[in-house]
Amino acid sequence: MAPHDRLTTTLPRPRVAAPPRTLLEVEDLSVAYGGHEVVSGVGFSLARGESLALIGESGSGKSTIARALLRLLPAGVGRAAGRVSFDGREVLGLPERQFRPLRGREIGFVPQDPSSSLNAVRTIGRQAEEAAALLDEPDARARTRAVLDTFAQVGLDDPQRVYDSYPHQLSGGMLQRVLVGLAVLPRPALLVADEPTSALDVTIQKRILDLLTELRGTLDISLLLITHDLAVAAERADSLLVLKDGRVQEQGRTASVFAAPASSYTRRLRADVPALNPDRYADLRAVGGGRLAAATGGPKIEVDAVSKTFGDVRAVDDVSFGVEAGTTHALVGESGSGKTTAIRLLLGLDQPDEGRILVAGDELQGRSGASLRAVRRHLQLVYQNPFTSLDPTWRVERLVREPLDRFKVGDKAERRERVREALRSVGLAEHLVRRRPAALSGGQRQRVAIARALVLRPDVIVLDEPTSALDVTVQADIVEVLLRLQAELGLTYVFVSHDLALVRQLAHTVSVMQRGRVVEQGPVAEIFDAPREAYTRSLLDSLPTGLEGPLAT
Amino acid sequence: MSSDYARYAVRRVLQAAVVVLLAYVFTFVVISVLPGDPVSNTLRNPENGFTEDEITRIIAYYGLDQPVYVQLWESLTRFLSGDLGVSLRSNLPVSQMLGDVLPSTLRLAGTALVVAVVLAFALAFAVQYLPPRLGQVLRSFPSLFLSVPNFIVGLLLLQVFSFQLGLFRVIDSETPLATFVAAVALGIPVSAQIAEVLIANLDHESRQEYAAVARSRGLGRVRLFWKHLLKPSSLPVVTVIALTVGELLGGSLITEAIFGRAGVGSLVQRSVSTQDLPVLQAVVALAAVVFVVVNLLADLLYPLLDPRVRLDGGRRTGSTTPTTDPVRPQREVVAP
Amino acid sequence: MTVTAVTAVTRPTGPEREPTADAARPAARRRTTRVPVTVLASFGVVALVVAWSVAPGLFTTHDPAAGVPADLFQSPSAAHWFGTDHLGRDLFSRVVHGTASSVSSALVAVAIGVVVGGLIGLVGGFLGGLVDSVLARFVDVLLAIPSFLLAVVIVSALGFETINAAIATGVSAVAVFARVMRSEVLKTRSAVFVEASLLLGGSRWHVLLRHVLPNASRSVLQLAVLQFGLSILVIAGLAFLGYGDPPPASDWGLLVSVGKDYPLAPWLVWAPALVTIATVLSVNRISRWLRTTD
Repeated sequence: MAPHDRLTTTLPRPRVAAPPRTLLEVEDLSVAYGGHEVVSGVGFSLARGESLALIGESGSGKSTIARALLRLLPAGVGRAAGRVSFDGREVLGLPERQFRPLRGREIGFVPQDPSSSLNAVRTIGRQAEEAAALLDEPDARARTRAVLDTFAQVGLDDPQRVYDSYPHQLSGGMLQRVLVGLAVLPRPALLVADEPTSALDVTIQKRILDLLTELRGTLDISLLLITHDLAVAAERADSLLVLKDGRVQEQGRTASVFAAPASSYTRRLRADVPALNPDRYADLRAVGGGRLAAATGGPKIEVDAVSKTFGDVRAVDDVSFGVEAGTTHALVGESGSGKTTAIRLLLGLDQPDEGRILVAGDELQGRSGASLRAVRRHLQLVYQNPFTSLDPTWRVERLVREPLDRFKVGDKAERRERVREALRSVGLAEHLVRRRPAALSGGQRQRVAIARALVLRPDVIVLDEPTSALDVTVQADIVEVLLRLQAELGLTYVFVSHDLALVRQLAHTVSVMQRGRVVEQGPVAEIFDAPREAYTRSLLDSLPTGLEGPLAT
Repeated sequence: MSSDYARYAVRRVLQAAVVVLLAYVFTFVVISVLPGDPVSNTLRNPENGFTEDEITRIIAYYGLDQPVYVQLWESLTRFLSGDLGVSLRSNLPVSQMLGDVLPSTLRLAGTALVVAVVLAFALAFAVQYLPPRLGQVLRSFPSLFLSVPNFIVGLLLLQVFSFQLGLFRVIDSETPLATFVAAVALGIPVSAQIAEVLIANLDHESRQEYAAVARSRGLGRVRLFWKHLLKPSSLPVVTVIALTVGELLGGSLITEAIFGRAGVGSLVQRSVSTQDLPVLQAVVALAAVVFVVVNLLADLLYPLLDPRVRLDGGRRTGSTTPTTDPVRPQREVVAP
Repeated sequence: MTVTAVTAVTRPTGPEREPTADAARPAARRRTTRVPVTVLASFGVVALVVAWSVAPGLFTTHDPAAGVPADLFQSPSAAHWFGTDHLGRDLFSRVVHGTASSVSSALVAVAIGVVVGGLIGLVGGFLGGLVDSVLARFVDVLLAIPSFLLAVVIVSALGFETINAAIATGVSAVAVFARVMRSEVLKTRSAVFVEASLLLGGSRWHVLLRHVLPNASRSVLQLAVLQFGLSILVIAGLAFLGYGDPPPASDWGLLVSVGKDYPLAPWLVWAPALVTIATVLSVNRISRWLRTTD
């Protein structure tokens, strides 16, 4: 950490004698967007050198609070009321001119999505110089050196190359390191990190969180961490604050809130986080487990040495796996691992260059359009994002009926009955059938998508990250629906996910993929308890474990 | 990059050449669907004073005794060799007639383009900087000026500057001041279009996450505008400005009529009323060439200005306005 | 004068945001069911203009063609709202009676643009490949010829009548509709829900008619409204240059053109000009409103 030492010695932060112990004090903070209140009466305090996590699902107001603290609410629309004192000074009512010097210099900000948080038409270096300008350093070359040192400090291997790059030339993980670096470069007293890892792969998530934890220690920065993930929060913060619909549900020291949640919402949240509850659906999952043990004859799906190349990229490389009827097989991997391409081959959306795919013993390749259509009737897909997979101009009833209409199943009355049955089985209320997707919540939309897949009564459903766009409590509901349907109807699932904790909850067998290859596969219990490959281990290590993490040891 | 750029450039140049040729053919087809036979009617009109010899020569020159496709072929080969034909009315080479009026129109359109761009940027800047209430009023300007027929703008300016203030006379329509006033009339509707896109882009960019993050680094609004918002907002405007060249050329018809300027526009008007087809054909071809060349330059320039643009196998990909809606876990890239 | 729809095309319309966006702009996204006052007023203006063109007799008792020699150049008054012209004709009556051809010809122009351009864009975008390349070059050609010049050439080929001016305006608008339709079709065709429909057994025709067209038509409708306003301007411009029906017809552009020769009676220019501006402004306001609500 030599570069950092140089920085702290040459650029000491001017400090008044005996600073107050409380760095940030928020009282009765309310934020309204155009008259609609999204944060109501929130209060908390953060001591110097401490860390606090704000936890909540979408619509909880957690990011709004972050922006209100930085006074970056959309101009003219967002209004904040209440009291926010920073370093003993009331800042919410300050004129912009007086507040602006605090931004960056005293309060640093790490945003959610690194790929959109840097200006795409300017080099990273030029944007970094803006942060360096906050150092009271008159020499331009010294400022540039400070930037490069900081880049090295946040773990960027080739600082000069990063400095000269445009944002689109770097990966998401590297960009997030840049942004963390820019936030800490002026040595702020407080770092506000708004979901700093939710756009990143799990292994990179862990590294960024480790970096934040480390910088906090070495640079003596207080951290306000905003996250949707209770496990991450518990692992990384001294205190927790749980938000729902803009109101505080409960707050306190991490140990007490996490171990013995007082509010029912926090208890629900804790129960719904997959990483903390590996055996939550043990009973439902056991049904498929029994089928796996009793399996005789050929598997329902057999993928045999399949490869696919796009341009110079070998997206899927010699991939094989089999799925027994009535069980769930999971494909796990990070972005670029080839898991999505693999299922597109399975569904016949792309043709493999090599290898065979068999569904119920029948080969998929070389089929005519009509017979491929017949196979697909028994092979359905649920997409990752219910916000793009449903036609926005159609109503729910018609969306769910579409497959029946296309395959000309039964008469009008029968179709209506089957639509109703499918909607009932995914737990979607009757009164929603006349709505368009835009008038539904994310969870409701994904239920519609599942009902659409179910309505033809297929044998196999391919689920492509079906819950990754949803909140954790909604995810828990959807997972329960899926497992219940499997137990009742004997459905076979191919489940694609980046989330190992979720896979452990619901799958029976798993293939771990990396750069187009299967690195390890077998029954879930074996892989998770005794991973043979280093890559699998690193994925498992990246899982947040709540209090069992660093704090417990 | 450079070999990709070369392939892209070659591809665009070829496309442009094809478009110019097709534009010529298209105009020829449109003009030759004319009912009746305006050419020989014009020629045989005693007022035009052609002798029978000349008529035969001109008819042979244009191949009017030949089938249409032969006429088209011959017309096209003449065009490619730089021969724009002979006017049916004045018996002068069309290239000479165009050469006489072109400078006036280029002065007018060029000045109008400058006026339009300057006005548009000034307006966009004012919208961002003036107090919100005033900015809101200014925001309505582009749509207001897009709703005013440009002959009204022209008549109003002419009324004020010529008749009321007496700053120039319609007779001296080529003085710098007269040209400037006419250029303002021609440029205002065009500037409204540029301003509309520019303002929308600035709004879009200022809502982007990177703008908030830059402000979290202590940037004020002024520096944010100059250092961050201006470049990504104005890059797509390069394309828009190139597209408006067509409007400047088309609009000059009306502006020249109002301000009594002897330019290409008034030549077109005369040729329309006398059915002087070779002149019309040549003017359309010229306008198409100007439009295509300007847009070609803009397209060739753009990838050099905008680092986001990628040229894959000679095709332009990559978004010009950054679409940056976060999708939580990044979806796998299925195809490169 | 003729405005290509660059604004409509480059306007970022981004996909719907994920529920994760609990910060940035929930308020801006919220559906407002209330129609702004200016939009209501715009609908009022358009309704009035349509009424003028359908039943001009209901709004004025003066004969638009018959002049009263004693009433030359009367300035606007209670008897003659827009004054009278050089033949003593009531200008208000002439404006009202000129509405039909000024406005309905703009409708003809838009219809041509929507049908021809929409079809070109739909076919090119949906079929892709060679068909798309050929159609794209054709559209490039239409775009390369300045649209007002193109309209002038076409109207001079067809003859100087208002209906021909409308056809010419429509042809010059084809390129814009083709471009917007094509880009919308491409956008929708690659949408996940279209792939989903194909997986669920939908045929290409089914996808085209039931998914692609309804989704693309939204932008095309909004463009059509915008283009309606522009067509009024283009046709007025053609009439101004004398390429429409000759007098005693009273197209708005022609009224301005005739009126400008009488500088001592400025109302002859301003009355029809203001009517044109108010109409186009209202149409544009409605188009803008359609763009923000979907």
